[in-house]
Amino acid sequence: MKTSIYQFCKRNHLFDISAYLVLMVGGVLFLLKGAEDQGYYWQWFRIPKFLYEFDDGRFIAGPILEGLKITLNITWISLILTYIIGLVTALMRLSNSLLARGIARVYLEIARNTPLLVQIFFMYFVVAPILNIDRFVAGVLALSLFEGAYASEIYRAGIVAVNKGQWEASYTLGLSTYQEYRYIILPQAIRRILPPLTSQAISLIKDSSLVSVIAIYEMTMYANEIASETFLVFEIFFTIAAIYLALALILSRGVAYFENRYRVVS
Amino acid sequence: MSTKQFGDYIIRVDSIDKTFDNGVVALKNFSTNIRRSEVMVVIGPSGSGKSTFLRCLNGLEEIDSGSITIDGIPLDNDKKNRLEIRKEVGMVFQHFNLFPHLTVLRNISLAQMLVRKRSRSEAEDEAMQLLKKVGISDKVECFPSQLSGGQQQRVAIARALAMKPKVMMFDEATSALDPEMIGEVLEVMKDLAVEGMTMVVVTHEMGFAREVSDWVIFMEDGMKVEEGTAEHFFTDPKKDRTKLFLSQILE
Repeated sequence: MKTSIYQFCKRNHLFDISAYLVLMVGGVLFLLKGAEDQGYYWQWFRIPKFLYEFDDGRFIAGPILEGLKITLNITWISLILTYIIGLVTALMRLSNSLLARGIARVYLEIARNTPLLVQIFFMYFVVAPILNIDRFVAGVLALSLFEGAYASEIYRAGIVAVNKGQWEASYTLGLSTYQEYRYIILPQAIRRILPPLTSQAISLIKDSSLVSVIAIYEMTMYANEIASETFLVFEIFFTIAAIYLALALILSRGVAYFENRYRVVS
Repeated sequence: MSTKQFGDYIIRVDSIDKTFDNGVVALKNFSTNIRRSEVMVVIGPSGSGKSTFLRCLNGLEEIDSGSITIDGIPLDNDKKNRLEIRKEVGMVFQHFNLFPHLTVLRNISLAQMLVRKRSRSEAEDEAMQLLKKVGISDKVECFPSQLSGGQQQRVAIARALAMKPKVMMFDEATSALDPEMIGEVLEVMKDLAVEGMTMVVVTHEMGFAREVSDWVIFMEDGMKVEEGTAEHFFTDPKKDRTKLFLSQILE
């Protein structure tokens, strides 16, 4: 059977691919033109040593990679705290206790309706001295509390979306509230909210850069320092942007794989 | 037809009232008593309060006034009483409400392990026996979505039976099924009735009501219109409203 060019193109997404390439090339040219107009002198060759060096064949991490390590530490600790705070807040909001609902509500409104930057400063300058905690802990707490507020709304939506019949069946079988959540409701809710929870984790990776304002030496803090010493502003910030991008992509791809493997027919 | 032996009153419902938040009156001064091993069928047009009546019996809906006692335990705000009643009253829903993330076996064994504190092997043995009884022992490792509606409902019945309840309630258990699957579910319900299970059944299946029930209640607007044995009810209804309903539904 003969296929027309049109059919061939359609089947192989030829049009989509060419349109995509044209847009990408256009974007890159636009950026290059912008840089050229500014008379910016690109010095990419100076970047690698900020990432790593070899001393007698021994690998030595540069400041950017050192910072990345701290960024990852901040992120994974905050992520766990975010998910715990989010779940607890969601359960409090859905509970029968007026007190629990009230506390959850006040926390949510404050965390979501004030800037993260202000919260970080507040945590560091006001709360940290009282609790006698160091800047790293203060930064992690501020981040977790901020992201936790958003996570709790995701949990709540997931829980509320579980069919009412599931609660009723659990109730008639005699399950306790804890057992209902643990065995029936949360397993169904979590599967559904995995994608938005992943977005939350990605936000967290990016927002972790804000704790540089209280002089935690994570990746962005180092980048700031290098940029002000060397004036390699674009090179350094493009580099760390690429690292943030890579982290986010690895995370979302990983979760997508996980999600596919454990998909439940429902 | 009734050679059946009934016991004492296991369910006592004394003048209960229920008005929903939106102002709809579901039950008005409704009373009835059910004896051990009795099969009571509740019929009536939709919105007559028959499902609400069932859901009040195990506390799924709160009553506004009146009292409900099940096997001597009052359904009040005491959590222990309430749990006892939830354990003793099994319920089968119109839409099955199986747990979609659990296999058939786990659907049936989970509550036994959590609530009745049976070991996993005990619970699974019990589940296997019940699955055999409802005729789907070959679907143990399936998820609910892989079963037909009739099979799902039979699993739901097995799940409720696994708790060894003293009373079984059926809330329009066949209404969501394809016609050719209604029979298999009714068959399981009939077997239960023959074994002497106390049952409260809300249904539109008049054939079932006529054949299996010991007592029929016809409800409308939250009140009893007429009640009696199946024989009396279907052959010699007294009230015009009952006659009209029966003539419409038996068409």
